[in-house]
Amino acid sequence: MAGFAAILRKDLRLELRAGESVLTLVALALLILVVMVFALNPAGGARDAGTAAGALWVALIFAGTMGATRSLAAERENGCLRALLLSPVDRATLFCAKLTAAFIFMAIAEAAAVFVLVLFFNLDFDARLLRLGPSLALGALGFAALVTLLAAIAGRLRAGDLLLPLLAVPMFVPALIAGVKGGELALAGSPLGAAAQWLKLLAAFDVLFLSAGYLLFEYAIGDD
Amino acid sequence: MNHKAATLTGLLTLALMLLALFMVFDWVPTEAEQGIVQRIFYFHVACAWVSFAAFGLVALCGIFYLWLGHEIFDELGYTAAEAGMVFCTLVLITGSIWAKPIWGTWWTWDSRLTTTLILWLLYGGYLMLRAMGGDSPQTARFAAVVGIVAAADVPVIIVSVRLWRTIHPAVLVTRQGGHGLEDPRMVATLLVSLAAFTALMVWLLMLRIALLRAGARLRGLAREVGLARAAVQDL
Repeated sequence: MAGFAAILRKDLRLELRAGESVLTLVALALLILVVMVFALNPAGGARDAGTAAGALWVALIFAGTMGATRSLAAERENGCLRALLLSPVDRATLFCAKLTAAFIFMAIAEAAAVFVLVLFFNLDFDARLLRLGPSLALGALGFAALVTLLAAIAGRLRAGDLLLPLLAVPMFVPALIAGVKGGELALAGSPLGAAAQWLKLLAAFDVLFLSAGYLLFEYAIGDD
Repeated sequence: MNHKAATLTGLLTLALMLLALFMVFDWVPTEAEQGIVQRIFYFHVACAWVSFAAFGLVALCGIFYLWLGHEIFDELGYTAAEAGMVFCTLVLITGSIWAKPIWGTWWTWDSRLTTTLILWLLYGGYLMLRAMGGDSPQTARFAAVVGIVAAADVPVIIVSVRLWRTIHPAVLVTRQGGHGLEDPRMVATLLVSLAAFTALMVWLLMLRIALLRAGARLRGLAREVGLARAAVQDL
């Protein structure tokens, strides 16, 4: 637990000093949303709930994969990762700490992206946005678990930055479907219960990738 | 893996494949509603079975490789992914050829089609990882992890895609595989096709593993020759 807290504190402090990851994530998400507005030409308002939810998730997964590549690349510079692996912290704890940091950055980026989404897609700042919360939080958790595991692998390979989205996006499909559907229901003003099956699906995805990462991270991060 | 076993499997594959071709094109009766095009079904389903079995094998080999560390599991996992990818591509192609006259479109976002496409993308990523990582124990370990995670993801993909489809009304009504195999000859033809494709798969795996090993030996020999040549030049 002490190891977990120490690594997480290190990551958060680095982020507070430099602000690289979150800024990159937010800037990318914003840029992709602008592109989506040009591409889809939304009419705006609740009629376009599906389009808005779709655009939001496209922005999040692409910004998220790029952010994840950065996060582990930073560890590799100056041999920081080697030091982490040598420290008396087991791999599963390292996974949890890295995943928590990724989740926090992702959540901040999501909040920023939702704010911009309301402006760009002519939505209202009302209770409907709060109903987006559960699906966005569960989606960010699953995504953080998935990319933390895969970035450890991709970071070791020559063209790893290209490989990461190739691996991560198809695996994220179930959560993407559930997130877009849940988001659409929320933005269209349906009660939270209507999205129950999508939230359950997201929760199942999270459980799967949290346990897979917990068990397999040791083989992915490696020490050879 | 000796050559005799591979040759025997090859001959068995040839015999079964010829028999399957005869049954599909000559022996089995033509389906009443769809006509002649329905005969692609026997190869389409056989390809699907073989590719899904291969992807299952990738995950199993991944588990055993991480657990026991024997190289054979790595080789088998790699070759199964390659062969599975070939057959999965064939499933998508034969499916499209079948869908055009029957459903009137090459592609529809039906739950089975979507799931197969996502599987294809998943294992495409796996093979990219293999290609980028090269031939090393590290790549073998990474590929094992990705193979396991991908297979664990498949049930969630199936459920999500099915839920997604029930909400989107389908443009075309999909027949749930109920192509009315009333005639026992249809069942027999399907079973022979399945056996033929399974034998083909086993044969391909044997050949590919032999090729992988030959490649590794060749690289070893080339290294030795290079060292020997350097030693001679030093004299």
